[in-house]
Amino acid sequence: MRSFKILNYPSRWNIFRIDDRLLLIFIGFIVGSCSGLAAVALSRSLTAILNWLHPYRHIWWAFLLPAAGAALSSLFMNKIVKEGAGHGVPEVIYSVSRYGGLLRLRSSYSRLISSCLTIGSGGSAGPEAPIVMSGAAIGSNIAKFFSLNDRQRVTLVGCGAAGAISSIFNAPIAGMVFTIEVILGEWTALNIVPIAIASVAGTEISRFLQGNNIAFKPQQFNIGAMDIIACVGLALVTAAASVLLTRALRGMHKISARVPVSLWLRAAIGGGIVGGIGIFMPVVLGEGYHFIQEMIDGTFSQGLIIAAIATLAKIFATSFTLGWGGSGGIFAPGLVIGSLAGITYHRFLVWLWPSAAWVNEGCFALLGMAGLIGGMLQAPLTGIFLIVEITGGYQAILPLIIVSAMSSTMCHYIEPASFYFKELVDKGQLLRPRTDARILSDLKVQELLERDCISVHQNMLLRDFIDIVKISHRNFFPVEDEDTGEFIGMIHLDDIRAYLFNPVMYDAVILEQIMNTRQQTVHLDDDLSVILRTMDEKRLFSMPVVSSNRFIGMISKATLLDQYRKELRVQTFQ
Amino acid sequence: METQLFHIFRNTPLGRETLLQSMYFCKKVMASPVVYIPRFTKFLMYFENDVVQIDLDESYLAAPDTAEEHASALLLENNIEPKFIKPKNFTASTLPDIPTNFDFMCCPRSISDLSSKIGLGYIGPRVRRIVKSALFPVLITSPVYKPWKSIAVFFGGSSNAVNALKLGFRISRISKMPLEVFTQADKNPEFYKNAIKEKNLESDMENYVSQWHIFEHGTLEDNLYEVPHDALVILGAFGHGILKDIMFGSTMEKIQSVISNNLLIAGPRYTVNI
Repeated sequence: MRSFKILNYPSRWNIFRIDDRLLLIFIGFIVGSCSGLAAVALSRSLTAILNWLHPYRHIWWAFLLPAAGAALSSLFMNKIVKEGAGHGVPEVIYSVSRYGGLLRLRSSYSRLISSCLTIGSGGSAGPEAPIVMSGAAIGSNIAKFFSLNDRQRVTLVGCGAAGAISSIFNAPIAGMVFTIEVILGEWTALNIVPIAIASVAGTEISRFLQGNNIAFKPQQFNIGAMDIIACVGLALVTAAASVLLTRALRGMHKISARVPVSLWLRAAIGGGIVGGIGIFMPVVLGEGYHFIQEMIDGTFSQGLIIAAIATLAKIFATSFTLGWGGSGGIFAPGLVIGSLAGITYHRFLVWLWPSAAWVNEGCFALLGMAGLIGGMLQAPLTGIFLIVEITGGYQAILPLIIVSAMSSTMCHYIEPASFYFKELVDKGQLLRPRTDARILSDLKVQELLERDCISVHQNMLLRDFIDIVKISHRNFFPVEDEDTGEFIGMIHLDDIRAYLFNPVMYDAVILEQIMNTRQQTVHLDDDLSVILRTMDEKRLFSMPVVSSNRFIGMISKATLLDQYRKELRVQTFQ
Repeated sequence: METQLFHIFRNTPLGRETLLQSMYFCKKVMASPVVYIPRFTKFLMYFENDVVQIDLDESYLAAPDTAEEHASALLLENNIEPKFIKPKNFTASTLPDIPTNFDFMCCPRSISDLSSKIGLGYIGPRVRRIVKSALFPVLITSPVYKPWKSIAVFFGGSSNAVNALKLGFRISRISKMPLEVFTQADKNPEFYKNAIKEKNLESDMENYVSQWHIFEHGTLEDNLYEVPHDALVILGAFGHGILKDIMFGSTMEKIQSVISNNLLIAGPRYTVNI
């Protein structure tokens, strides 16, 4: 039993006492391997379901398959695992922001099953966000098992996410960059090393079990100066598509929330509509990797107009799948929409200038994918490295950088927060590391209470009060009701100086006459960022803290900033 | 600092009994109840090293329009200023985050037999996880309002039992109610006396405990007849392994399934100052 307890605290093992980075690397490897296995399990399950349902895809009622899948997925989420809806990445970011990466154990498998049902049946969504959630939850729970602290747990959550993304795409750099850029939001040596190890572990697991295959076959592209100039226009197109997809997803979510039916029926309606669109546009169904390969190969046979319509159809199909209650992420649909936008733009250029020597349209499909991922997630590096790794297209690195960077910059001007962050920003819950809000969120009013104030009551004579002033070293005096003990006001020495130096007033004035009854108060559960803002706006240096109408102490700006500095030091310690 | 008890309000006659019970407890230990009226059947509690999702049954969402009014009326009738907690943060759209910085939490029991939900006929895995992670003890109330007139602590010699005993001393001191200690002696009675001695609790035992019942014969279930029906029963929770749970059950669950008293369970992370 004792040896089992020691297992729970690896930071006490001799080998890790020297440097806890070793501990994180060791556990990061375990987490990366586990999340890699989860990603392979999801990938295999999806393939199995897709193969199983393949013979039924051509039957007339096949449009009902996505409806059934989405309904089952919704029922599973709401009735069996009882988790909140959504694709999970904002949940991971939120948990990292506010609760040191604490995630429920059930999250390590719930999204895997629900997204399998949605995507396998033909819903337009991707398996990447669910696998990020799953990997992150695996990391969090392994950290919990080993009783690691918040800081270490956050790193392991990152390891889980990186291992999962690396495994599912066979792309270790993309997994690492995505995690640091999107999930954790901070580039520190302490994070990067274990996350890199986890990425490698996840990738190796995937390669061992599924072979070292690049997701899309690499192609040779001869990129010229004209193509690079045209990238600016493509960045505009992908930025517009990203904004449209972001708004369609959000808008659809709001519309579906107004439909007065149960959640599973709502998901079924969304899935049914997707199935209906799929009859005319099969490209919208499922994750759509097969069509991406066609577009990269340059064998996507439909013309300009159909490609443009397919882009819009995929955007709406994704919105109907995810906005109406299906499970899954936006990565894979983003790649399909990006490549469709890329070839549409290429065909438009060819139509305008048929005699110009444009590069193969497959290159523009790659660039479109980078632009859309960069724009949608506002994470340009993720867009660049992901496309480079999953297509082996290193020769297109220059235009990839241009499209991804420009698309994400343009999207940032139109939508200041990315798809993953928008909801959190709106609620004021996106607290990135080393920011003011994050540091303040780690402090509590209780920690800052100053309790050395002497309370007085309203019927006290000024003469008696002066005796109290003599023994106190504070300028503030809370006034409490003599009978009930409730807080009724404050006396600040600066406000009553005139009375103090006038002996005639000593027996003529009682404190009720000179106290400030409109004093702004603070409660124990108030946010420190709000308190600090109030102090700044009203030019206050301290405020009384009141609980159940009773004075329990003062909170001062000086103590708050002093604690803030200490917390900042803790959080930035390497 | 004000002592607070977290209470999840159910707007049903059973919920009323539970709130009455919480209010009585608060009055006795000089705490104030903080009432949560759920808008969803789920919520999350983020503890230091664990996040627990609480799944309530549908009865907690009964008549939402009158819930606050009914709770306020009950509180005001008992001269307690109504204080409601409204979640500020949400992990997902239907998962409110409830703070965990309370001094006590009330987990009502009901006739429900769904072991995964809170408000159980027995202490299910969810309540067990709260007890295991929380820095506060959990109050499991009797099905109907039943004021307690004394305190009964179950002491089995473990560190959790010592914790429960200290909690008993504290509540006895605050509420001025007599305290009795009950021990089902699986070992030599001297073992329990030595445990008290080792923890330097002898003087507290003398000061607070009116009687120490050490049962050397009979089963625990039989001996529970000796526990006064109107006592607040305090016991420590045990960190069980899965196998032990399945094979042997737990003392905590045996006690609560046999007696109808209010229970106060101190978990392994709860530390008490007498």
